[in-house]
Amino acid sequence: MADKIDAKTIRSKVEQINTLPTVPGTLKRISRTLEKPRISLDELGKIISNDPALTTKILKMVNSASYGFPGRISSVSHATMLLGLNVIKGLLLGVSVFELMEKTMTGLWEHSMACAMASRIIAQKKGLKEPEEVSVCGLLHDIGKTILMLQYSEIFQKAMQEAENNGITIYESESRHFSATHAEAGQWLLQKWHFPPTLVDTIQYHHQPTLSKNSPMETAIVHVADVLVRAKGLGFAGDHVVPELNSAAWDMVSLSEDDIMEILSDLEDGAQAAREET
Amino acid sequence: MPKISVSDLKPGMVLAKPLARGNMVILGEGTVLNEAWISRLDDMNVEHVYIDGPSEQPVSKEQALRDLEARFRNVIDMPHMRALNNLVKNHIESLYGR
Repeated sequence: MADKIDAKTIRSKVEQINTLPTVPGTLKRISRTLEKPRISLDELGKIISNDPALTTKILKMVNSASYGFPGRISSVSHATMLLGLNVIKGLLLGVSVFELMEKTMTGLWEHSMACAMASRIIAQKKGLKEPEEVSVCGLLHDIGKTILMLQYSEIFQKAMQEAENNGITIYESESRHFSATHAEAGQWLLQKWHFPPTLVDTIQYHHQPTLSKNSPMETAIVHVADVLVRAKGLGFAGDHVVPELNSAAWDMVSLSEDDIMEILSDLEDGAQAAREET
Repeated sequence: MPKISVSDLKPGMVLAKPLARGNMVILGEGTVLNEAWISRLDDMNVEHVYIDGPSEQPVSKEQALRDLEARFRNVIDMPHMRALNNLVKNHIESLYGR
């Protein structure tokens, strides 16, 4: 096997993502905005409101089954009020990466939306204060895959093929080619865009939830949501096998059988609604 | 819960979601549709409603269960994963009615 690509190179490639010609203009614009260390909710709201396509996408997302307000949010200012800076920032990133996700890996968006929904439901069941923030973490947890696929298309394709041939997860096969995985790639991107450490942790550690210091519960939730969505077989995240649930995270989240059945059935309704829309 | 075109509705079908125009709910969740309701929905130019019952699935039940076993093949020996596998199996079976 060829030499593994070292982490430092990957990091710089991740951070230069907006220089890529294949990255859509909206994402470049948004990324320039998010790179500013301080941005107010008001500013962010204005950027969205001034862009009709973005407004439509954001409103569609917040009114979808993944978030808790079906059909009730009719304006960007209402959305920003209800959801707050981190969620709006995350959604903005989510909807602008959507196109890339579908182009680079068909099914990744469906997987991500389902994870967003499962994360929110679990966060609500656990009584967390900001279930929508956890939902955004679920939405963005695999954003690193999109970036690796863009910057290292050939190698990532090969890693996916190996995952398929050997019946292993993409996370395992990634680490044979890269010194950093999609989890770290996502971490670097979110750090560059000034997401708070509590959100960054969930992305960075969604495969090793016990390592999270800033948000162990939220990270455990995203980990569990990811495995539940794979168990149900919704969308495609780069492989065809369910990874093992981390037992410490599983115990921490401690869902009853009824909880799990309810989540699976909500995921089904969400997937059904998405299918009927297209 | 399948979404059904109004022209395909039959008396006796049950609404799975309330039907609303703007902010006003016209028919509540659980309404049993009769001939009169159905023709009125048609008159109001409603196109689709959500009906109780299993939705159409993209693959057959047998296929869905085979895919499930294949997905879990690496982890099925672990007790907590086997338990999850069983729950998902029950869930899949429930999607196909009976």
